[in-house]
Amino acid sequence: MRRYNVMYFISQSLKGLWRNGLMSLAAVTVLLSCLVLMGSFALLVYNVNENIETVAMLNEIVVIVDYEATDEQVQELSSQINRLDNIREVKYVSKEEGLESERSRYEEYSYLFEEIAEENPLPDVFKITYEDNSRVSNLVYQLGQLDHVNKVNNRTDIANDIENIKSGVSFIFIWFLAILFVISIFIIINTIKLGVEARSREISAMRYIGATNFFMMTPFVIEGIIIGLLAAGFGYLLQVFLYNTIYNAASNDYPMIHIAPISDVQMYVWLGFIVVGVVAGVVGSIISLRRYMKV
Amino acid sequence: MIEFNDVTKIFPNGTVALENVNLKIDDGEFVFIVGESGAGKSTLMHLLLREEKVTSGVLRVGDYDLTNIPNYKIPYYRRQLGMVFQDFRLFDKKTVYENVAFAMRVIGEPTSVIKRRVPTILSIVGLVDKYKSFPTELSGGEQQRVALARALANNPRIIIADEPTANIDPKMKMDIMNLLVKINSKGKTVIVVTHEKNIVDYFQKRVITIRDGHVVDDRVGGMFDETV
Ligand SMILES: Nc1ncnc2c1ncn2[C@@H]1O[C@H](COP(=O)(O)OP(=O)(O)O)[C@@H](O)[C@H]1O
Ligand SMILES: [Mg+2]
Repeated sequence: MRRYNVMYFISQSLKGLWRNGLMSLAAVTVLLSCLVLMGSFALLVYNVNENIETVAMLNEIVVIVDYEATDEQVQELSSQINRLDNIREVKYVSKEEGLESERSRYEEYSYLFEEIAEENPLPDVFKITYEDNSRVSNLVYQLGQLDHVNKVNNRTDIANDIENIKSGVSFIFIWFLAILFVISIFIIINTIKLGVEARSREISAMRYIGATNFFMMTPFVIEGIIIGLLAAGFGYLLQVFLYNTIYNAASNDYPMIHIAPISDVQMYVWLGFIVVGVVAGVVGSIISLRRYMKV
Repeated sequence: MIEFNDVTKIFPNGTVALENVNLKIDDGEFVFIVGESGAGKSTLMHLLLREEKVTSGVLRVGDYDLTNIPNYKIPYYRRQLGMVFQDFRLFDKKTVYENVAFAMRVIGEPTSVIKRRVPTILSIVGLVDKYKSFPTELSGGEQQRVALARALANNPRIIIADEPTANIDPKMKMDIMNLLVKINSKGKTVIVVTHEKNIVDYFQKRVITIRDGHVVDDRVGGMFDETV
């Protein structure tokens, strides 16, 4: 692109935006609303997933060791478990520790425990937490295959439910985003189309002079990009404001819900808004120009 | 050189606008194209502008074969042509100066060249003192002179004028025609489509007559002959 054309393109774009002032304003507003809706939804899904993940972490798998297993065998089992994939933490609770913790739970009946201390009925157990909720059933299976494992207790059903919720939410999320994105593009198409129509005589005269499509289209594409950037900028401010308002309210009233602080997510919001805004601007303007730019 | 070789143009709706047209226009010629309304004159212009494609035959303009020109080259081809229309087609929101400058801006001329060249061109068409006016403040004759200046801005080899005097009051018609002749005398090919018998008769140039899509008469120094 020639240097002295850059200023021309930008000034044409600004004139175009100004001339269609009301429509430009409407386009920025609608695109901004779409972005904030997208952003709010994305942040909601993000936080829901985070919280579900936390709930999922409360689930532990309890591996009950054969009562007859020797200390060496338990030792061996422990290292085998630690070598498995998807393990976050393994906690070994021996028969004796198990009895001790039961005893402290039922302090007033401690005399009962005196009797069974000789013949401790409790097994050795491993309490296991895991990394990835979606691969729990695999882990449970592998644990069951190990030697000297009597039983594996877990709540795979909860894990599965959580996975189903997550994929359901993601599915709705993606469709919702797609629909909002299409709406945004549609708005830009209409705005740019008005501008092109208002200047169709001028454009046809430019064509006869020998203007390239690039020369004729660029001001409109820049117009679309400016709309996208304005929507992204103001949308970002609005999004941060809304998020912080909810963040403050929720952390006071519902301390058990963990909400990610804005600093964790603002980078993604900003990038997402810019990308979606600019892409909508470019795609929208090119679609609306295609009809006029035939040679 | 412009060369029509057996050119036929049939529109999608079946209208045969031009049929087996053979024409040769040399560099530096001055040509009138005459014919009744609906004869195919504008279609001829649209083919030259490469707004329409020939249905069959070959059309060459200078180094360009318009039958096979790729789309991206069309703007560059058009820069060899200067178009003048009966309805002027000026940029109404631009001044006289800006109208001419814009044609140069479009093809990427630097501002320094534009500043130098626009006054020269305006002086050729006699509009230097109106450079700040907007088209709506000018008479028809003056607007057409702006259009002519704009057509000349990029130093085209060929000027094509489709009924350039149709919307101009009689006193100014000769003015525009004399300008076109003057431009022709500087070496440019000039093609003028017109209805106006007295103009054609006065200038004694080559006249190509079209009727029902055929070239029915082509003679140098010819007169507008309604009986042909
Ligand atoms: N785009 C088009 N589609 C169909 N028919 C057309 C089109 N343009 C022109 N025609 C027809 O082609 C013939 C020649 O038209 P035109 O070249 O405009 O004549 P002129 O300029 O000599 O008056 C006419 O019958 C006209 O109706
Ligand atoms: Mg016509």
